[in-house]
Amino acid sequence: MSIHIRNITKTFGKFVALNDVNFTVGGGELVALLGPSGSGKTTLLRVIAGLEFAEEGNVLFGDRDVTRQSAYQRRAGFVFQHYALFQHLSIFENIAFGLRVRQRSQRPPEPQIRARVEQLLETIQLADFAKRLPSQLSGGQRQRVAFARALAIEPEVLLLDEPFGALDAKVRKELRHWLRRFHDTTHLTSLFVTHDQDEAFEVADRVVIIDQGAIQQIGTPDEVRESPANSFVEEFLDLDGTIPA
Amino acid sequence: MAGAVSTFPTKVAAPRRATAESPLVKTLLVGTLLVFFGIFLVLPLFVVFQQAFSKGVEVFLKTFEDRATAHAVKLTLITAAVAVPLNAIFGLFAAWAVTRFNFRGRSLLISLIDLPLWVSPVIGGLIYVLIFGRQGWLGPVFFPSPEMLSSNFIARFIYDNNIKVIFAAPGIILATVFVTFPFVARGLIPLMQAQGHKEEEAAMTLGANGWQIFTRVTVPKIKWGLIYGLILCNARAMGEFGAVSVVSGHIRNKTNTMPLHIEILYNEYQFAAAFAVASVLSILALVTLIIKTYAEWQAERQLRAAAETGE
Repeated sequence: MSIHIRNITKTFGKFVALNDVNFTVGGGELVALLGPSGSGKTTLLRVIAGLEFAEEGNVLFGDRDVTRQSAYQRRAGFVFQHYALFQHLSIFENIAFGLRVRQRSQRPPEPQIRARVEQLLETIQLADFAKRLPSQLSGGQRQRVAFARALAIEPEVLLLDEPFGALDAKVRKELRHWLRRFHDTTHLTSLFVTHDQDEAFEVADRVVIIDQGAIQQIGTPDEVRESPANSFVEEFLDLDGTIPA
Repeated sequence: MAGAVSTFPTKVAAPRRATAESPLVKTLLVGTLLVFFGIFLVLPLFVVFQQAFSKGVEVFLKTFEDRATAHAVKLTLITAAVAVPLNAIFGLFAAWAVTRFNFRGRSLLISLIDLPLWVSPVIGGLIYVLIFGRQGWLGPVFFPSPEMLSSNFIARFIYDNNIKVIFAAPGIILATVFVTFPFVARGLIPLMQAQGHKEEEAAMTLGANGWQIFTRVTVPKIKWGLIYGLILCNARAMGEFGAVSVVSGHIRNKTNTMPLHIEILYNEYQFAAAFAVASVLSILALVTLIIKTYAEWQAERQLRAAAETGE
């Protein structure tokens, strides 16, 4: 399922957070939204999820215009930077949450919920942790649970807000590879926000570079690295010294 | 117990600091504190129970068979049963509004929530007399003249159904609601502020509707803060003297609550009976203290959990 962002403009009072943003995430693509802090990348992701509403423009999932739908109708899988796990629920119940809150007619029967959650626990390699509380897990483990919880509702798109931002370097690398492998097997359309260009270039099929609420460049990691579209992109990439001189 | 204004847990567990004071200073400080506690808290509490049982257990129990005493207990329970749920709802709304939204007058609202804590409870009662009393704003409706009765159907309805506010249970409940309304909101605001609303957002993206988010995510998150507020609210509702005294009229078997009844018994030299009723309120205070301490501890645990996961 593709994501289309059309002419999105969003302001907070006088501050223009997003200024006429357009781009498309193709079905089955893994795209990184890269930019410095305050560039509007998280706001854009939240607009796509329905956690924030834009003044102008449309958001489409495939042919479905979801602009006027609230987050709970859109059902985009969303992974938060700080996990946002339900503290009072076990890992099992955290993952099952999205299935349990469905209307009776759409709710899978208990054995099916069980099977689905157990399968997801296998996928994230935390099968033995089902009964634990989030506070008893490490950061990396918590983020994996947050992944599983978002995947449990079988979303058509997956949105990730700085998913590795709160983790230490080693775990971050591991999870990065894990995400890429996961995407290669599922081809779930995914958009992830990051300020770390290494992360963006290593994981994503394409990179969208954003600054001051406007898109600066869209392209594959190679394209962006080889021919930066403007001085901002050049400087932004140069700053971290990843481009060979 | 009336007027016992408690402090609220507004802090998030501060790290312990090594103190620079000498052991002598420490002993002196702790010693003074203990003596102070002994004189002002433990001793009076002891006297209450000692006096209550001074004429034996039989007299103690007989006190509660007395019709006026039984009625006072009943009225106090009814008052608390109405005032506490009302303020639970108000407190939840208020805490929700000031922690979730940023609007003009927000800080003024937060200050206003505290108002009953700083004004004298007598004023809390007096405002209702000034509204519903014979000389008050609505006096013409509640104490109607013959002309008013024939011309105004509201006054007629109130008169026909014998509805009273001042010198009746509704007035007592109103005054109690006024003096107790900060407690739930103040118990919740620091907790909800610290927790943020990421979990609610997560629930929303998972397809939960507003009610499901409230019952399955928000309520469990704030449970102990809510219980903490409720228990303080209840203690104050049952123990309030000043505000209730103004609107009550002290009519035995009609508008006497436990604190008012204690005063009457005491003034009539029924010391054992007065202290017997007082001892029941004191037990309530002790139970409140125990539940409060536990709830506080649990609420802090929830706060820490929120802090740990970087919310």
